[in-house]
Amino acid sequence: MLSRRRNLIPYLLLAPGLLWLLVFFAWPLVQVFVASFWSGSVERGYSFSFSNWVNYPNAIGPVLPQVGRSLLYSGVATVLTLLIAYPLAYTIAMRGGRAKNLLLFLIVAPFFTSFLLRTLSWKILLSDHGIVFGPLKDVGLLPEDFRVLATPMAVVAGITYNFLPFMTLPIYVALEKVDFRLVEAARDLYAGPWRRQGTLVGAIVGGGLVAGLSFAFGWSPAIPTVLAALVGAVIGRFLISEAFVRVTFPLSLPGVFAGSLLTFIPAMGDYVNAEFLGNPDSRMLGNVIQNRFLTQNDFPEASALSFILMGGILIIVLIYTRVLGTDQLTQSRV
Amino acid sequence: MGATTLERTSPQRRPDVGVVARARRFVDRYLLFTYTGLAIIYLLLPIAIIILFSFNNPAGRRNFVWTEFSLDAWLDPLGIPGIGSAVTLSLIIAVVSTLVATVLGTLMAIALVRYEFRGSRLTNALIFLPMATPEIVMGASLLTLFVSLGNPPFFPLSLFTILIAHILFNISYVVVTVRARLAGFPRHLEEAAMDLGANEWATFWKVTFPLILPGIIAAALLAFSLSIDDFVITNFTSGRTQTFPMFIYAQARVGVPVQVYVIGSIIFLVAVISVGLTTLAGRRQAGKDFEPVRKM
Amino acid sequence: MPDSIDRSIEITRRRFLAGSAMAGFAAFLAACGTQGSGTAAPTGTSGTPATAPPSTAPVATKGVEATYSPELNWANWCCYLDVDPNDDKKWKTLEDFKAAHGTTVNYQEVIDENEGFVASISNQITAHQDPGWDIIVVTDWMVARLVRLDWVEQLSLNNMPNYVANVRDVYKQQTFDANMDHHAPWQTGMTGIGYDPTKTGELKSLKSMFEVNPKWKGKTEFLTEMRDAIGLTMLAAGLDPTKPTRADCDTAVTMMLKARSDGIVRDVKGNAYTEDLTSGDAVLCMAWSGDVVGLAADAPNVKFLFPDEGVMFWTDNAVIPKGAVHKGTAELMIDWCYVPEHAAQIEAGISYVTPVKGVQELYAASTDAATKALATDPLRFPPAELAPKLIQFGILTEEDEKYFNEQFAKVIGVS
Repeated sequence: MLSRRRNLIPYLLLAPGLLWLLVFFAWPLVQVFVASFWSGSVERGYSFSFSNWVNYPNAIGPVLPQVGRSLLYSGVATVLTLLIAYPLAYTIAMRGGRAKNLLLFLIVAPFFTSFLLRTLSWKILLSDHGIVFGPLKDVGLLPEDFRVLATPMAVVAGITYNFLPFMTLPIYVALEKVDFRLVEAARDLYAGPWRRQGTLVGAIVGGGLVAGLSFAFGWSPAIPTVLAALVGAVIGRFLISEAFVRVTFPLSLPGVFAGSLLTFIPAMGDYVNAEFLGNPDSRMLGNVIQNRFLTQNDFPEASALSFILMGGILIIVLIYTRVLGTDQLTQSRV
Repeated sequence: MGATTLERTSPQRRPDVGVVARARRFVDRYLLFTYTGLAIIYLLLPIAIIILFSFNNPAGRRNFVWTEFSLDAWLDPLGIPGIGSAVTLSLIIAVVSTLVATVLGTLMAIALVRYEFRGSRLTNALIFLPMATPEIVMGASLLTLFVSLGNPPFFPLSLFTILIAHILFNISYVVVTVRARLAGFPRHLEEAAMDLGANEWATFWKVTFPLILPGIIAAALLAFSLSIDDFVITNFTSGRTQTFPMFIYAQARVGVPVQVYVIGSIIFLVAVISVGLTTLAGRRQAGKDFEPVRKM
Repeated sequence: MPDSIDRSIEITRRRFLAGSAMAGFAAFLAACGTQGSGTAAPTGTSGTPATAPPSTAPVATKGVEATYSPELNWANWCCYLDVDPNDDKKWKTLEDFKAAHGTTVNYQEVIDENEGFVASISNQITAHQDPGWDIIVVTDWMVARLVRLDWVEQLSLNNMPNYVANVRDVYKQQTFDANMDHHAPWQTGMTGIGYDPTKTGELKSLKSMFEVNPKWKGKTEFLTEMRDAIGLTMLAAGLDPTKPTRADCDTAVTMMLKARSDGIVRDVKGNAYTEDLTSGDAVLCMAWSGDVVGLAADAPNVKFLFPDEGVMFWTDNAVIPKGAVHKGTAELMIDWCYVPEHAAQIEAGISYVTPVKGVQELYAASTDAATKALATDPLRFPPAELAPKLIQFGILTEEDEKYFNEQFAKVIGVS
């Protein structure tokens, strides 16, 4: 008796949420899938046919650069967000004390205001000859034609900024439950910074990130990559302890996993940052879908592109989950 | 993190003494706090601009050049037709959708983490998909659904359809966030409670729930910020109602009025100040905030 | 600063302000040695035939079939109706309508782009349900599409005597609604060039946008509005936008892509270009005249250029979506706005180019000095000489529209 009731419990817990998702998401999604096999137009009418599978390659063919950019910008932004958010979440969780809630609210509350207002504020700050760059240009530290807005750099910066709370909060909740006594015990056992491995990992992460950024933004990669590798090496060597690497970080992994999903997945479909902060050479897949849907009213193509996007994301998430090890991230210890 | 480690050396190492060691300790102790301070400044920079410009009195209609200080907008924040109802509506929608989505999402997270059952893989995929769907596709397909269900429609476009849409996209974010807290949850605590005589219900409320509460609250915060600023999906499912983001986007054509900056500032300040006050109150009564009594 | 005063003085609406460029026209004309706009004949730009405009404002006659429902739903763009000077949460015209006929108008400025808005009601229309709005205001090319799709109601012109009598003749020349029974023009606007002469020097031609010049290299912007961007580019290339062909489209798109690859273009965007003009990040943009005038206070250096080749000129129109519940009242509301007295009140509050005859005469005959000055306001009543330079983009067939949009997507960067 008890075991049968037990078997039902997960389904009962799932039911309301799952029902909601099935009715209001999965079912409409089926319609979108059907629409991706349409041919025709709004005026002449649409007809369904499996031979319209060509909609898919036809849709994605001309926009491979935009797809590549979505992957690159989202990936880079996710890594950046992780690097920025992790120490922040760590400090609040470990050293926050009574001010934890306040600090968390300070992180989330800016995102209660309108995206448009926030972006406008960044535009004011980062204007070509504004508060920040104006004086620098006047003094000669920057060339006159240097700009951040209307470049891929601004798009990535925008994505990074706007997803910061989505990375910070999950890492925080995962870190906050780490029993500090474990960490102390680890320190007793492992004593010392990360030394050799730290240098290596730090250099790879730092160098890799900046190399990716250079590639995305068209900088010359050599010097920035070397510098970043050096900085990464120093941080890895001196500032990260083995205790952290062996105990704290693995325990926080579910938070890192959740945060990167909450950042990468929506960023892949993002269009607002590229629209407001980018230029025609930095449009992403989201902009393409927006254009096909609204301006061109090409529903089959927009639907096909959406499914390609969703399919791609699912595959990437699957790989990511495998790499990190599923059970630790998504199951509770028995 | 680093400082104490350097101090505690393994038997083979000589303890670090002297200037270098003191410098290291100084850096390590203050580095994190400095970093946190800088990060918070980074996060708040646009908000500072928004608050600053809410006191601006622009010469024209566009509010991005500082002209002169003025309290006019603050004295009349609802002075534009439609702004009051839009803000109220957005707040109501955000609160309600956050509550419902948090409940539904938490239940799902518990089911997914604690139990193994058939269909968990599919459910996982179903949870990631809404986040992966372009907003415009989600909005348009929801609209199609609402319109096609009955004539006159079973779901007339109104506050309720907006709520349905917001709850929908919030569920995924809640599930993922709560799961981050639940994963690695030691079952032995619950088993201990049950061994001591508590039934499942009591165990949940007295043991599990307090421990995952930070995750639930974090999820609620994220859901709230998603809902209060949503534009695309709301645009499709709102019918004749206008929410605050819709209002702002429509006004942005000619220039966002200063009152919008004022309301944005108020929302931020209210949120932060109220939490600040509860923090202070908590300090006085030495009670618990949403921190659990015992760490897992 | 009270919004109502702002709105009555400022000409900020992005797409509809023909007259706002007239100040530039006046200077242009003066430079060419012709008379300024103020001395134009009082009949205005429409080139009306000899019949005199009505000298007294006809009162709205109640239509045969229509009754006034208790409520009406009207969706419009921002800043298209006169705000009540005494209470800036209300619109005066709607208050008057309510006082006269008891209808409460649920007026919402929710439209911020044609496609997005129509997409949000298209499902309802195709499902033969109530679209939620009784009046919507869309640009003429969207009207053409809606008429083609049969998504708008046919107006019962019996109910709209003022509209029939007072719509200016120039609006009857369009091809997408020959009988003028599916739409009613609301306001008119123009697209030209917005630029900062202190940085670029005085310019005269659209060709400047395609020249590599260090003064504006990397600081120009195109519009995402296809008809405006392609139209202006065609003008720069010496082609005729009133009869656009696919070959013309290809030429224009190639020109714009070359401008991008030459590094001239900073971005292709909607009316956010005004932000860049204000901050100085851009110095030469395709611009809507109303926006540029609205920037006068924030960015005094920025001017609107009426290029030698001409400007694109188009109209926003009121239409009744198919299935609207209060069709009759909607027609009466539109008709109300076509009474010259009411149109004059609206016009004074929002200062666009009105499609209603007789408004200029009312202003001229007014005893109040401020109102009288409106009659010679070049922003509201563009002089007749400029008519040949106001160019309307030709209406495209469905296939051509698709082709043009597909090609233009390359310019925006999404293809």
